[in-house]
Amino acid sequence: MTKYVVKRLLLMIPTLVGVAVLVFFLMRVVPGDVVELRFAGESSFASKENLDKERARLGLDKPLWKQFVDWMGGIARLDFGVSMWTGAPIIEEIRLRFALSLQLAIMSTLIAVLLAIPLGVLAALKQDTWVDYAVRIFSIAGLATPSFWLGIVFILMLLIVFKWLPPMVYTPFWVNPVQNLAQLIWPALAVGYRYSAVAMRMTRSAMLEVLREDYIRTARAKGLWEKLILSRHALKNAMLPVLTVIALEFAFLMGGLVVTEQVFNLNGLGLLFVESVAHRDYTLTQALVLLVAAVFIFVNFLVELAYAWIDPRIKFR
Amino acid sequence: MGVLLSVQSLVTQFSTSSGIVRAVDGVSWDVDEGETVALVGESGCGKSVTALSIMRLVAQPAGRIVSGHVVFKGRDLLTLSEEEMRRVRGREIGMIFQEPMTSLNPVLTVGRQLTEGLEIHLAMRQTDARARAVELLGMVGFSDPARRLTQYPHQFSGGMRQRIVIAMALACNPPLVLADEPTTALDVTIQAQILELMKALSRRLGVAMLIITHNLGVVARYADRVNVMYAGRIVERASARELYRNPRHPYTLGLLRSVPRLDEPRRARLQPIEGQPPDLTRLPTGCSFRPRCAFRVEYCATEEPPLREVPDATHVSACWEAERVGSSNGGPRNGPPSPPALGSTSAQPGRSSRHGE
Repeated sequence: MTKYVVKRLLLMIPTLVGVAVLVFFLMRVVPGDVVELRFAGESSFASKENLDKERARLGLDKPLWKQFVDWMGGIARLDFGVSMWTGAPIIEEIRLRFALSLQLAIMSTLIAVLLAIPLGVLAALKQDTWVDYAVRIFSIAGLATPSFWLGIVFILMLLIVFKWLPPMVYTPFWVNPVQNLAQLIWPALAVGYRYSAVAMRMTRSAMLEVLREDYIRTARAKGLWEKLILSRHALKNAMLPVLTVIALEFAFLMGGLVVTEQVFNLNGLGLLFVESVAHRDYTLTQALVLLVAAVFIFVNFLVELAYAWIDPRIKFR
Repeated sequence: MGVLLSVQSLVTQFSTSSGIVRAVDGVSWDVDEGETVALVGESGCGKSVTALSIMRLVAQPAGRIVSGHVVFKGRDLLTLSEEEMRRVRGREIGMIFQEPMTSLNPVLTVGRQLTEGLEIHLAMRQTDARARAVELLGMVGFSDPARRLTQYPHQFSGGMRQRIVIAMALACNPPLVLADEPTTALDVTIQAQILELMKALSRRLGVAMLIITHNLGVVARYADRVNVMYAGRIVERASARELYRNPRHPYTLGLLRSVPRLDEPRRARLQPIEGQPPDLTRLPTGCSFRPRCAFRVEYCATEEPPLREVPDATHVSACWEAERVGSSNGGPRNGPPSPPALGSTSAQPGRSSRHGE
């Protein structure tokens, strides 16, 4: 078990190196660079001389392979360098935003799971009755509603009906939990609803499949309570595919919430991502892509562990 | 010995897109206390549905028990509330299923699956239930039951899993066990072991058993009485010995002829029953075996034969020509020749998957 975990964690390294190579060269293919974009904003004409001087300062005049080796060397020492746009250390740029995005992702996942699993199970049990249809319509609506739009509706509703506006400035949880939750609960609800729709559909179909299994009939023939058959015999088997969906969705939330962040004035990873690409801020973009890739890989790794924990037929090798 | 279970005029139907399937069409039979009764017939003749109807586990909402009575220890199970029925399942009637590879839950330990019934029906504490589970696994032939309890189903072979299923069915000491094709999914050597085990245990514990099978070899060795089922109905009933010596229904005769026997020359050809079992959504009028029958006479097409005594109450047959079937039969292999093929394919009993199970 320990050996398996260590092995899997070590295997993350080659994957991340691959991601690093890809993002490094892809960014260089995009036309324009950070220097041009910075000077383009100013009204005065920037001479070629000045541009070259700036490029030299940022190390962009070196040959590509040299830039790549320097960058990788930095990463190996956990030094991601400074942002080419702001000049601030990348770690500083990312730290707070990562905390915010992580918290939002966790809250959304909790809301999604709390909605999806009970509703999905209920819909499966009451298949083809009005309960099932109601739940399915609720979930279809969730899939069809963009979360940023739902977010706008939330804000307007709070403002018009309750004459109250959620805090628009981020307060870290450890500074003031109430303030923090009062701000983040709304985007979490908006995102979590959409997210729950996917997980709910998966729960429903997995549950329907499991309920037809022979071992459920065996459990019934043993005279177990229906509730026990559900919780002990059916749910555990039905959770495997749901877990995968939840994990993928979770990883997506770590950087994919660009518009929702705008709506709620949240300074999260999504916005930073878009800006860094728009600025051709190579160092920052590269660091962000690596971070999101690492989150994806790590969450998938956790899912695998959970799989093996739930299903004894899966062995660590 | 008294009657333990009495199935009376049971009718179970399924509504499908192609019409109503009359899976069980008015069958009646008994099981006495401690007795082993067999229910024999081809796939799709309604054997399994009969067992599921007794347990009231027919798949809802397509399947429905339309009428009849299932009287167990003087109570009609079909009139019980769902909660009362739950207390009967596992506690009063145990069930063994056909497919040991899928009838155990893959994510729960064998111990968990054995003890849960004990904890619920007998209100045993965990430690007591565990001790009983060890005893049960020992009883069905495991040499190291305590260690086995912590293992999962995938760590056992098919035969071993079926032993576990048997242990589960016997856990609460029920007076009756329904075994639905308990050995069909196992290979032949294991089949014999499992059947011997079931026979020994039912003797030792005084459990009555209903064995559902398409294998007449199984019936001969292990059943006291036999009900032969065809197209949702009982067509013949007799003691196992009597049925073999003196079959009085052409279908039974056909089944017996299609079983290989060790006491015959190896070159003797098996005689399959020609044709296919009828479509249960559109049963013909009259006798439903008529299209495949060598003994058919004109009025078989219009008059449905009732179960009648040939020659006495211990042997009944639903055939107008039961006497002729009996007299023509100097041993199951020397009867009248098979009728000309009606369908292009020959159906071996128990091998037709037309209706599935």
